[in-house]
Amino acid sequence: MAYIEIQNLYKRYKKVVAVNRIQLEVNKGEMLTLLGPSGCGKTTTLRCIAGLEKPEEGDIVIDGKPMLSQGFVPPSKRGIGMVFQNYAVWPHMKLFSNIAYGLKIQKVPKPEIRDRVHQVLELVGLSGLEARYPAQLSGGQQQRVALARALVSNPKVLLLDEPLSNLDAKLREGLRFEIKSLVRRMGITSVYVTHDQAEAMVISDRIVVMESGNVMQIGKPQDIYKRPANKFVADFIGTMNFIEAEVEEILKDSGAVTVRTGFSERMLCRRSDASVSLQPGEKVFASIRPEDVDVFAEPPQGRENMYKGTLAHKAYLGNFLYLFVSLDGTMIRVQVSHHMPEEEGQELYLVLHPEKCMILF
Amino acid sequence: MSRGNLILAGALWLVVAFLVIFPLSILVVESFKIAETGGWGIDNYLEFFKDTYYFKTFANTLLLSTLVLLTTTLFGVPLAYILARYRHRGKTIFTALILLPIVLPAFAGVFAFIIFFGKYGTLNLILMDIGLIDTPINFIYGLHGLVFIQSLHMLPFIVLGLSAGFTNIDPSFEEAAEVEGASGYRRFFTITLPLCTPSYLAGAVLVFLWPFTDWLTPLILGQVDFLPSISYLNIAYHFTDLHRKYMGIVAVVVSSIVCISLFLLARWWVERKKYTGLSKGTTSEGRVIEPSAPVKVGAYVYMVLVAILVLLIPIVLGLAAFSRRWVFEPLPTYWTLENFRLILLESPVLIKNSFLYSGIALIFGIAFGLPVAYLIVRTRVPGKDALDFVITLMLAFPGIAIGVSYLLAFWEGIPLAQYWIIMPLALFARRLPYFLRMAHSSYLQLDPSLEEASEVSGAGKLRTFFSISLPLLLKGVLVGVVMFFIMAFQEISTAVFLYKGGWETLPIGIYLNWHRGMEFGIAAAMAFLMIVITFILLLIISRIGGGVLKAAWGAEGK
Ligand SMILES: Nc1ncnc2c1ncn2[C@@H]1O[C@H](COP(=O)(O)OP(=O)(O)O)[C@@H](O)[C@H]1O
Ligand SMILES: [Mg+2]
Repeated sequence: MAYIEIQNLYKRYKKVVAVNRIQLEVNKGEMLTLLGPSGCGKTTTLRCIAGLEKPEEGDIVIDGKPMLSQGFVPPSKRGIGMVFQNYAVWPHMKLFSNIAYGLKIQKVPKPEIRDRVHQVLELVGLSGLEARYPAQLSGGQQQRVALARALVSNPKVLLLDEPLSNLDAKLREGLRFEIKSLVRRMGITSVYVTHDQAEAMVISDRIVVMESGNVMQIGKPQDIYKRPANKFVADFIGTMNFIEAEVEEILKDSGAVTVRTGFSERMLCRRSDASVSLQPGEKVFASIRPEDVDVFAEPPQGRENMYKGTLAHKAYLGNFLYLFVSLDGTMIRVQVSHHMPEEEGQELYLVLHPEKCMILF
Repeated sequence: MSRGNLILAGALWLVVAFLVIFPLSILVVESFKIAETGGWGIDNYLEFFKDTYYFKTFANTLLLSTLVLLTTTLFGVPLAYILARYRHRGKTIFTALILLPIVLPAFAGVFAFIIFFGKYGTLNLILMDIGLIDTPINFIYGLHGLVFIQSLHMLPFIVLGLSAGFTNIDPSFEEAAEVEGASGYRRFFTITLPLCTPSYLAGAVLVFLWPFTDWLTPLILGQVDFLPSISYLNIAYHFTDLHRKYMGIVAVVVSSIVCISLFLLARWWVERKKYTGLSKGTTSEGRVIEPSAPVKVGAYVYMVLVAILVLLIPIVLGLAAFSRRWVFEPLPTYWTLENFRLILLESPVLIKNSFLYSGIALIFGIAFGLPVAYLIVRTRVPGKDALDFVITLMLAFPGIAIGVSYLLAFWEGIPLAQYWIIMPLALFARRLPYFLRMAHSSYLQLDPSLEEASEVSGAGKLRTFFSISLPLLLKGVLVGVVMFFIMAFQEISTAVFLYKGGWETLPIGIYLNWHRGMEFGIAAAMAFLMIVITFILLLIISRIGGGVLKAAWGAEGK
């Protein structure tokens, strides 16, 4: 059931269209992530939900109440909690006052304020620090203060704008899980903004991939990884080999597609939603992820999409190995988990699983 | 650390010791001399705080400072907010007008307002003409007039500090408050204003110290019971009455102590409260808002009123400068160039002196300021922070303290005060910190690798400085140079103790003309001339430094 509906949202700054008529729904209790490269309009979308920006067109409905079409509802009346990218923890107030700020405005009785601040501090693991000033805290701790401040008044909606982007890598990984479990436990409907695909995969129930103010794809993390809607999504999330190709034939019974590439007259790709409308002769990208390619020293028997190539170079990345294999000049990146005795320049055989090859553009 | 740097540091310390520490110590030493016995002791201080008159003077000055600070704050907060946050036409021109008093000599304002608001000044005459009042209203003679004139003069410091604060604080601090449910006034008073206190304080302390420095305004308004005025009178007019002289010195020392304590207190507070927020990735249209129509009209009316008051200064002085015998008339009736003829033909020496002394002071300033900035920014010579600190302290010293201490220190023994070079030296010492701040900040912006590249190519330190650093620093420093010149050009509180016949500068000429014969016309013409010169200099800065605003701002070194 949709708790937040974003209808046809359009926002521009002078000539720059930041958000281009996007359509989104956030389900109750769900953690939805806006993912995309810098400048794609994630922050702007989030700020429109918060009421910090007024969009030119469209409406935002929170819990059945329109925020724009029936008079602008200011941020202070939307009942949201927000974690800013730079935390925005007020430096002139102690921790306690920072967190209690919203409750005081709501005229919550003093003893209750104290109890709730203590509870939320315990929740984020900052008990005992309420008399500190923000300057006396580390980046990670300030981040928790921002989270505590956003959570303390039990908001209907929690908005987080790249909350971990200012932290170092180690801390970031730990906090991802913490935020996820905390928000899940409290059952708050939340919208999370990040440009880090790994973070999005870990934290989200669903991901919205955005580019240049447009929504590219919406789906569960694994769906987006396995079935990217287009080349942009496939490129942005994970690593992908894009092989320039020309459509040869669409097989009637299976819906699979054969294409011609620089190294082969025939390569078989799985059926996809797009294959229905494909025409022979069309230029496309036959795409496969590095981990879906198999490597053999000797030609295996009876495999589809088997090609001979030469090992151009190897890159050792710790827990796995990247092989760059040239198929008649087309470079294919292959991920293998074990050691390969082959030297650079040696011949190898690749199998590009037809079930894992997809047509993208 | 190279030996060259150490030698340089040593040389600069010698200059500071000779021109700052030595004379100021003499000042303190003299304050312990007892006139009656010729001995030493704290008797002068005891008398100062026991004597009802001196104590009253002290209390008066504190009261005046408090009132001036309150007034400037009350008027400055909305003004800064309007300038920083509202979208409106003519922002540049209003900003320039409201900040104008920074570059106008303080005494220019006093003369203009006496002519306009005086007992038989323009305003009273107009009001009586149209029958609104029967007897003149006392607009400015008294504490209220003093508060008014000093507040208008110091208002820019509050406005500058606060509007920079309002512009620079990270928007997300206020947005977070908005999301938390705070709207309008609540957000302003709980978040915005407290976050601006550091930038406010930097200006506020200068405002508070002004009544401890400005001896002339009270004197002209017939109010002498303030510390700087009483010091001036005691020392300059009763030089032979040793007791009064020493009491004057005590007053100077007490003023200096108050000023420096407050200055250090404010500095310490600002350091402690410096809110360095990460400011990354926020999306917002700055903090400029479109106010509702009534608010906008109100804002305009308010800005126009302040701007008119400021503009009165050059306009009234201009009128007075081109006329004679402007008394008992709302506007002058007899127009003439006679005032200018007198200044330019009969006593061009004043103009020559002004340019000469300020020019020499400026050369000293550059020759001293750049190496100090270099030492502080680029080296790790021991004691460089102390050097910076001592020089910065000079910001807080009342001009009188410098003038008096030079007079005491360089009269016998090292009789520099008998030569005119004392004038530029004193101007240099007084305005040193301003130039240093400026050089300092442009040095910070100069990427050290540019200099390193030169040294790697084989150039020595000195050559690198002249062929690489100096040309790159020049633009930033030039603004500081012009501001320094303007300030030295307008300096009176130091110079008035040191000048002798033939050494008069324009500001002293203005003071003497008022003082001797109430020759308003000539004094006004001189003040007007100074304003014109200042304007030409400002125009030059705005060509090189990107706007009067920035120039004035940078010179305060915040
Ligand atoms: N206040 C603003 N003024 C002008 N352009 C802006 C402003 N805020 C955002 N933009 C532009 O809108 C686009 C989207 O910005 P944003 O929502 O911040 O992207 P993201 O958060 O995805 O990095 C960018 O092209 C950005 O330059
Ligand atoms: Mg962003």
